[in-house]
Amino acid sequence: MSRWVMEGVETDLDAFHLGPVSMEIAPGSAVAVLGPSGAGKTTLLRTIAGFLPVRRGQIRRDGTEISDWLPEERDLGYVPQGLGLFPHRTVERNIGYPLELRDRPDAAARTRALLERFHLTPLARRYPSRLSGGEQQRVAIARALAAEPELIVWDEPWQALDVQARYELGLVFHELRETERVPVIVVTHDPGLAFSVADSFLILGRGQVRGQYDAATLLRAPPDPFVARFVGFENVYDRATLEASPPSPLRSWLRERAGRDGVALTCPTLPAALADAPLWEGTVRSARPGPHGLTVEVRADELLVTLRVPPPWAPPFPSLGERVRFGIAADSVHPLGPRTEGAP
Amino acid sequence: MGGNDPRLKRPGDASPPAATRRRRWRTGPYWLALQVVLSGSLLLLFVLPILALFTYGPFDQIFLQLRDAQVREALWFTFYASGISVLVAIVFGIPLGYVLARRKFPGRSVLESLVALPVVVPHLLVGLGLFILFIPGSLPYRWSEALGFPIYYSVGGVVLVMVFVSAPYTVLASQLSFRAVDGRVIEASRSLGAGPATAFLTVTFPLALRGIITGLLLSWARAVSEIGGLLIIASFVYPGGLYDGPTTTTISIFIYDLFNNGNLQGAAAVSSLFLLMAFAIFLSVRVLERSGWLPWRRGDLSP
Repeated sequence: MSRWVMEGVETDLDAFHLGPVSMEIAPGSAVAVLGPSGAGKTTLLRTIAGFLPVRRGQIRRDGTEISDWLPEERDLGYVPQGLGLFPHRTVERNIGYPLELRDRPDAAARTRALLERFHLTPLARRYPSRLSGGEQQRVAIARALAAEPELIVWDEPWQALDVQARYELGLVFHELRETERVPVIVVTHDPGLAFSVADSFLILGRGQVRGQYDAATLLRAPPDPFVARFVGFENVYDRATLEASPPSPLRSWLRERAGRDGVALTCPTLPAALADAPLWEGTVRSARPGPHGLTVEVRADELLVTLRVPPPWAPPFPSLGERVRFGIAADSVHPLGPRTEGAP
Repeated sequence: MGGNDPRLKRPGDASPPAATRRRRWRTGPYWLALQVVLSGSLLLLFVLPILALFTYGPFDQIFLQLRDAQVREALWFTFYASGISVLVAIVFGIPLGYVLARRKFPGRSVLESLVALPVVVPHLLVGLGLFILFIPGSLPYRWSEALGFPIYYSVGGVVLVMVFVSAPYTVLASQLSFRAVDGRVIEASRSLGAGPATAFLTVTFPLALRGIITGLLLSWARAVSEIGGLLIIASFVYPGGLYDGPTTTTISIFIYDLFNNGNLQGAAAVSSLFLLMAFAIFLSVRVLERSGWLPWRRGDLSP
């Protein structure tokens, strides 16, 4: 059960500079690192794992500085992008690898227990190339856990997994959190899964930390358009879109409520039943049914706005080209970035 | 909102009229014939000369050659000298391949070209170069003689030529194989507790081994077939010591001599015998690869 602290950590990889990064991973907690491609997410994980030198700042584990420790001394369960399974070793020998290295007397028993726990026993003698994506993920996590690491470091766990495998991996993560209490730091592009496993979110952009947030803060006030889209806002308008010409009433109305980087809207609902919200009109461009209701995309005042018809809903669906009216409630508007103008 | 929406249909989407389709050329059979003819011609060129060797004399002549002490000695000497040069390639060539694949340093591309140089240099020039380097009276010549490793007409000279022409194949093959090992797999092993040497022995080397073995096979084949450089440095050797005692030579020069003396049937028979041995060696390595003796079996590494 360790507490990991990074303080002003900086590193360089060729021309790319990362940092300063400061963050904390409490015992038993999980941090998701979010950011667009090229933000430095993998660079950060490789620095934590010891593959890139810490140029400035400190990484501490339970108060001990480990910035200059070798990768093999850090007791991490590092799972690189693509999993890094050993293609020349069977599932069993992949999982047993860290135990072999440590000459653990209980190696065989522990390997068997991990195989059992991750439902890999029937696959023990197979090579990784003969496994499905989900099975490979389970091997990777079992191998990472084998030597009882102090931190799981996982780069893109959900890459190239089908829906079922994603669901199963979610369960694995929950078990990790509940039974092992190992802290986890994970890089992901999938917001749904990030929210399901992480308690805090580190936002990276171009090598800089934009902040570390909890889920509620992130949803209430996303720091920028990228994060807003990432966490699932469907209506995100950056500053350039709001200021594009020709100006329209909806654009102006949103601009007055926007932060420095733009604005995000919780989906307005249909039919518009809000007494005090201003009403807008748009033309239906598409209507898509789903378990959470009907998603309707309309063009209103040169902006695309996604609306929701909550369940229970029944045909007739709004048809293409139909004019519909919707209201935008004041509390569904989330300014992005620091507020600069037009406080309500 | 799928493809069934009639409003989304564009004029270009219409399928061509049936008549056009029927008149279209059926290129399939011609395409196949072209492939068979082109690749088959080359294969024929590979097979025919070897077939000619085997069928030139009576087949039992091939094995009767083994009764000839000179043939046995030349065969033994060829395997001995080429074996040493493969050993040299293992000890020095694989590390060089690793350095070229995994380390970044200024002048690496120059070094890479240097390694490939012996492959592109005509082999007579190799002998000539070594001759000039070790020209009698020169410093290298006197040192080699004084240390008891004479170059001319000696085992050392043969091995030197063989290493020069054959080791690059091992270096190049190991370089490619080490470079092909996914760095993330190596990082995973480090993070799981392996030091640099352990990670190399348990992950990097086993994964590169298949390519390295292919390189070693090529090196060996190149070493036993060498003749140009040997003709200048050591067209025959005194295996016993310094320019004294009985002589022998490599099998390639032995065959060349037979041919030059007009013994075409003998040359063909000895060639066939050696070919069979070489085939047997190639075959046993491939069988070993499939047997599970290596840390993986064919097909396990890729889906």
